[in-house]
Amino acid sequence: MSARSLPLRFRLGLGRRPGTIGSAWTQPLAIAGLALGGAWILLAIFVPLVAPYDPLAQSAQLFLAPSASHLFGTDELGRDVFSRVLWASRLSLPLAFFLVAMAVLIGGVLGGLAGYFGGWVDEVVMRATDLVFAFPTIILAMAVTAALGPSLRNAVLAVLVVFWPAYARVVRGLVLSLGEADYVSASRLLGASSRRALLVDVLPNIAGPVLVLATLDLGNAVLLLAGLSFLGLGAQPPAPEWGSMVNTGTQYFQRWWMGTFPGFAILSVVLAFNFLGDSLRDALDPRSSWAVKEQNR
Amino acid sequence: MTSPARAANREELQRGWQPRLPSRLFLRFLGRRLAALILLGLGITFVAFALTELVPGDPAAANLGQRAIGDPAAVQAFREHYGLDKPLPVQYALYLQHLANGDLGESEQSHRPVRADLSEYVPATAELALTSILIAFALGITLGIIAAIRRNRLSDQVLRVISLGGISMPTFWLALVALYVFFFQLGWVPGSGRLDPGVAPAPHVTGLYTVDALIAGQFDVFASALQHLILPACVLAAYNVGLLTRFTRSAMLEVINNDYVQAARAKGLPEHTVILRHVLRAALPPIITVGGLAFANVMTGTVLVESIFSWPGIGQYAFHSATTLDLPAIMGVSLFVAVVYIAVNFVVDVLYGVVDPRIRVA
Repeated sequence: MSARSLPLRFRLGLGRRPGTIGSAWTQPLAIAGLALGGAWILLAIFVPLVAPYDPLAQSAQLFLAPSASHLFGTDELGRDVFSRVLWASRLSLPLAFFLVAMAVLIGGVLGGLAGYFGGWVDEVVMRATDLVFAFPTIILAMAVTAALGPSLRNAVLAVLVVFWPAYARVVRGLVLSLGEADYVSASRLLGASSRRALLVDVLPNIAGPVLVLATLDLGNAVLLLAGLSFLGLGAQPPAPEWGSMVNTGTQYFQRWWMGTFPGFAILSVVLAFNFLGDSLRDALDPRSSWAVKEQNR
Repeated sequence: MTSPARAANREELQRGWQPRLPSRLFLRFLGRRLAALILLGLGITFVAFALTELVPGDPAAANLGQRAIGDPAAVQAFREHYGLDKPLPVQYALYLQHLANGDLGESEQSHRPVRADLSEYVPATAELALTSILIAFALGITLGIIAAIRRNRLSDQVLRVISLGGISMPTFWLALVALYVFFFQLGWVPGSGRLDPGVAPAPHVTGLYTVDALIAGQFDVFASALQHLILPACVLAAYNVGLLTRFTRSAMLEVINNDYVQAARAKGLPEHTVILRHVLRAALPPIITVGGLAFANVMTGTVLVESIFSWPGIGQYAFHSATTLDLPAIMGVSLFVAVVYIAVNFVVDVLYGVVDPRIRVA
């Protein structure tokens, strides 16, 4: 999603100022993140060709330590851990992209409306975000999933509930400040319609911060989904999922390979998105501080 | 310059120092924050109410669990207790009334009031969380200072990768690996629980075993408690160390090029004085605001990590409640954590207002 839409953002004007998004790609960290994330996306697409075993196929060879025939060993049902780790990417990665896209959409629209109309719309949306921010994310996600009933679908819904407010706040803040910016007034005075002002003058400047937040949230989404599955509230067995695999690993503590490798998978995916997001933020706003979310409290 | 401030200073010098009453502006700021806090608290109870009573298909079934639902008398009693046959506003009012009486429902697992469970488990989590936050702030700020001084050099880049690694690490996985390496392979730390088997906790004062042991002067108990505390606390600190390193670095860089810093250098002050007294002092207020976030991260971590360390806190309680779908217990923990969280954020806000007077006016 982010890679494909980049040229579009250039055209929208993000790349116009020297030293903006384009300069991110000169950083080693951004390249590392892109390579790592790209590798995972390719893996997720070509899993059936790469994975040596069926992720659900059980065998009599329980708890085999890593070896040439089973790179990451086998689990308590004799399933190949390597194949399961690879197949799990087909669950986590598309869900992460879907989640963040939905959060951007919902949060962006609500935040935009709040900033544009103000008044009671603004009040309602902002108090709703306050409520979500009053809970540590996983606590609320856990409560929502538990109330709805444990399933992957409900876990995704719960993550959506905790993710959209960040975008609503960022977009609202930007719409408010940009709406009063001189260059927008100038554009309106030159005869630009409100539609044109919104699309050409305001939107491109919202895209940057939202892109940074979304890239970081891709990693957070993977982490949160894995956490919910670790709690038994997300993906249900026998589906291969990184968090629930680590959970199984904690029950067979001495078979270190069962929990270690799925955890590595989570770490490498999240790290890739964080490398990318951090580099993008540096490129777009060198002054910006650590947490975009916290800045907009 | 005969500013009022200077006049006040002179007056104070003549009177001698006296404790200052909080200004009217500060009281107004405090009142506004307090009102927001109360509203938010009400909002939290509404969210919990909606999740326990509105969302589940049959709240009685969800809250009573499998066993009791077969018993019509129990279902009837539950419906009457929570007024499920009454209109929604009445239900919410009843819910609030129960909360005010400290009634969080009954856990399906322990068959005890959730409140009793919570009060048993909170001290263990408090000890773990406080230690972890202490470690995170000490380490994170130190690393952040180093990164800011050495900005854009190799050591800064290495610290950047490390701190991004810290925030990318799934805590539950880190706990598993750390326990395997440091307990199972190396044997450096004891495995699980808060004390070695056979060691009795010191007499209960605070519920924090390390503090209680020090108060009672039982240093062997203190040593045992500390050994058990150190690994889970470090694991929980990982995320916050990453966060605080990055945050401290950028907060320092915001001020490090200011004229007054140059002036301090030009005066011939040693570099460490400039960095600590002038730069870090100015960078501290934004760092304080991370306190609330750090607390949220630690609470998130405890839910995922405590069960791995068999740490008998509310995190383990929440974990077991989640895996067994003990809805009243889950809601009890969520409500409790959320209330503490907004209280922490309130304190952080007020502290920020104290440290940075501009906030009070805005």
